[in-house]
Amino acid sequence: MLKESLISEFQKIVGKENVLTSPEALKAYSYDGTTSWIKEPDVVIFPKSTSEVSQIMKLANAEKIPVTPRGGGTNVSGGSVPWHGGIVLAMTKFNQIVKIDKENLTATVEPGVVLQDLTLRLMKDGLFFPPDPQSFLGATMGGIISENAGGPACVKYGVTKQYILGIEVVLPTGEVVHLGGRTLKNVVGYDLLHIFISAEGTLGVITQAELKLNPIPPAKKTLCVVYDDVAIAGESVYHVLENGVIPDKIELIDNWVINRIEEMMPIGLPKDADACLLFEVDGIPEAVEKEAEKIAEITKKFGAKEVRVAKDADDANKYWMARRAGFAAVFGKAKTVFAEDVTVPRGNIPKLINRCKELAKKYNLEIVVLGHAGDGNLHPAILTDISNKDHYDRAVKAMDEIIEGAVEFGGVLSGEHGVGLEKQKFMKKVTEPAVINMMKNIKAIIDPNNIMNPGKIWE
Amino acid sequence: MKDLKELKKIEQFADQCMKCGFCSFFCPVYQEEKMEQSVARGKNYLVKQILAGNQEFTPEMADIIGKCLLCKRCAANCPAKTQIDRVVVAARAQMVKEKGLGAIKNFAFRKVMADRKAFGRYAKLMQAFQWMMPKTEGKIRHLPDFVKNLGRRNFPELAKTFLRDQVKPLYKPQDGQQPKMRVGFFTGCATDFVYPDFGLKFIDFLTRHGVEVVVPDTQNCCGAAIYFSGDFETGRMLADLNVKAFKDLNVDYIVTTCATCSSTLKDYQKYLPDNEEQKQRYEEFEKKIKDSMEFIIDILKIKPEDFKLKKEFEGKTVTWHDPCHLVRYQNIKDQPRAILKALKGIKYVEMPNADLCCGMGGSFSVYHYDLTKKIAGKKMDGIKATGADIVVTACPGCMINLIDNVLLNKMPQKVHHLLELVE
Repeated sequence: MLKESLISEFQKIVGKENVLTSPEALKAYSYDGTTSWIKEPDVVIFPKSTSEVSQIMKLANAEKIPVTPRGGGTNVSGGSVPWHGGIVLAMTKFNQIVKIDKENLTATVEPGVVLQDLTLRLMKDGLFFPPDPQSFLGATMGGIISENAGGPACVKYGVTKQYILGIEVVLPTGEVVHLGGRTLKNVVGYDLLHIFISAEGTLGVITQAELKLNPIPPAKKTLCVVYDDVAIAGESVYHVLENGVIPDKIELIDNWVINRIEEMMPIGLPKDADACLLFEVDGIPEAVEKEAEKIAEITKKFGAKEVRVAKDADDANKYWMARRAGFAAVFGKAKTVFAEDVTVPRGNIPKLINRCKELAKKYNLEIVVLGHAGDGNLHPAILTDISNKDHYDRAVKAMDEIIEGAVEFGGVLSGEHGVGLEKQKFMKKVTEPAVINMMKNIKAIIDPNNIMNPGKIWE
Repeated sequence: MKDLKELKKIEQFADQCMKCGFCSFFCPVYQEEKMEQSVARGKNYLVKQILAGNQEFTPEMADIIGKCLLCKRCAANCPAKTQIDRVVVAARAQMVKEKGLGAIKNFAFRKVMADRKAFGRYAKLMQAFQWMMPKTEGKIRHLPDFVKNLGRRNFPELAKTFLRDQVKPLYKPQDGQQPKMRVGFFTGCATDFVYPDFGLKFIDFLTRHGVEVVVPDTQNCCGAAIYFSGDFETGRMLADLNVKAFKDLNVDYIVTTCATCSSTLKDYQKYLPDNEEQKQRYEEFEKKIKDSMEFIIDILKIKPEDFKLKKEFEGKTVTWHDPCHLVRYQNIKDQPRAILKALKGIKYVEMPNADLCCGMGGSFSVYHYDLTKKIAGKKMDGIKATGADIVVTACPGCMINLIDNVLLNKMPQKVHHLLELVE
């Protein structure tokens, strides 16, 4: 519980209606997109400007009250759960698109802007923000930057950090700093911008960002390539890339997912296939045609059973809707799901898939594989039930070994979800102590009272 | 342990939510308030807390559960297919069970709306005094200034003669045609009291097309406002009365010109059953219900190009507003568009976000008028973008709210039921 006087101070800063303390509101801000990380804050505050954030931080720092910034709460790491109570800084009302600069292909946005709202607005000017976390319907720009989010388009366009030119940050002391800038090139001193990107809200509060944009490519084409063996599908990914075609998406769905999708929304996916790869190529129309032909040729040469080319935009959309429904299919079929986020160098995708298959056998579990094959970021999902102890224990063991496998194959334990609370125990295992120490020291310089999103990343 | 019977029935639906938060993008209330309690995920989580015994029906909880339009945009777009509308409605029902209805709703639902004769008498009384309400234009009036705190709401006046007082119990097909089918006509309150003309018009339309129409005077209010507010007791009573009213009439279908009524009659089986027998009875009833839009296209199989435009609408540009109770509750969206696109003499323009709720939400607009106006504001932006002269829809509820907001925003558009446009 916070002091009454402090609550009224906050009310003076942001207005009464923007400070919530009712038990109902606190419950509603106790969770994120994960199942089991739940903790109520003491107060929820909705700032609408940098100055308000700064005033709140000064008070919080003086009183050593934990502050957890939260956008859409769509994250799946526990990252926006106020683990030590205190303040949830809800950024959803701080949500203006300040400027779209067509000349320089940049946009200036406030942290509460939802990615899909930005996408719809940019579309009017023929522009887009390439990183595409699949939570785009609810994810806010502040959260996307803090988690350095990515999505399917990573294979061609990369992730968030490649599209952030500069940010404005309120430090835990209340001081406002500007990192990076508005230019594409910038080598003035240490690259502090990129320490704040992916800091998961543990260093400061992002209050504005300068985004790099791309023009929307005029043409797109989708192919669905069918395989008898999921590992051969994995190999296809690098065969396509090494032959000079860079699709903007390469997504993998396995037999289990194909069949669940066909149950939910029959669109004619091959139910007997071991896996399908969905390719999308984009660019100028002539190039797109040629690239699609090339993908068909290469995948057939390296063992694809069948290549289906989407006839038109509606047909293509069907495949992508199916891909998006993949996770819902997984979550709908089990009480508890471990949705892993391991990422390996692309060439090792077949090894990781085979490891998942072995572990499914070894522990007698259902392990589903879907994900962004194009960038090596797979989401092996283990279906289990937390109330069935024996089953759950086996699932935990399998998950540990999948992560060990990913690291053994040169990969990382999280490609896009972040560490938050969910992956802390693995963080320690796979990161050198000196590196963790360096991170902790940086945190201590910027946030000496440890008030910014405490309890995250490290145990 | 408390008896949470109504909530237990929907626990499986509440459990489906995987907390992805995608509903936030689709929720008209969240889009205005930007707070987690406004959105389906938050409401669902809090209802689960009630089920777990960690949350009571406090006044704030009542407010949170009440602040939902039941527009079903979240449910329609939910990757986990959570039926959040059922969760919200059940929570309201549970709350009414525990806390009662409150004096105003108790009177309105149980003493007025639940009794056809009494409802008629009260409507007559209001009609006799409506001259006290200043005229906005034509047949639209608004609240006088001395009740300013309720907002300057515009509303269509009550009809001089209600439908019930001019409708016949039986209509034979016209021109001596052999009846190709026999349907029951469900009037619905808004058509009865405000828009009797298009009720009569639809009956005329049906009989011209060889349909025999019966209009039982034992029918009642569909009960939407009542059971969506959680008064399942009165809701069930009305459901039973309506099922009974049409039971022995030997009709092939039961049709209505009100989107809310048709979806409400269809959905008795979903929200209300308290036992297996009731469920079966409501399911049987559902099979016969058809909204006017689907009836004329899917059942009568009238070709869209065979409709004739009324002269007064010639040369107009029109756009279509999807009532929630058609597009999401009944998946009816292509039929009205097919008619409007085929009608010779008008130009059809699709409005951006045509399926966005108008903000009415039945009694939602009574309790949250400011929110209603904000949500309707987005609808108005869509309408403005079309440059249309006429907004066409098929729900008297939407019409009342659209008229209010078109006038509040000083826009030139007229609002019409699709049936008003055709001969």
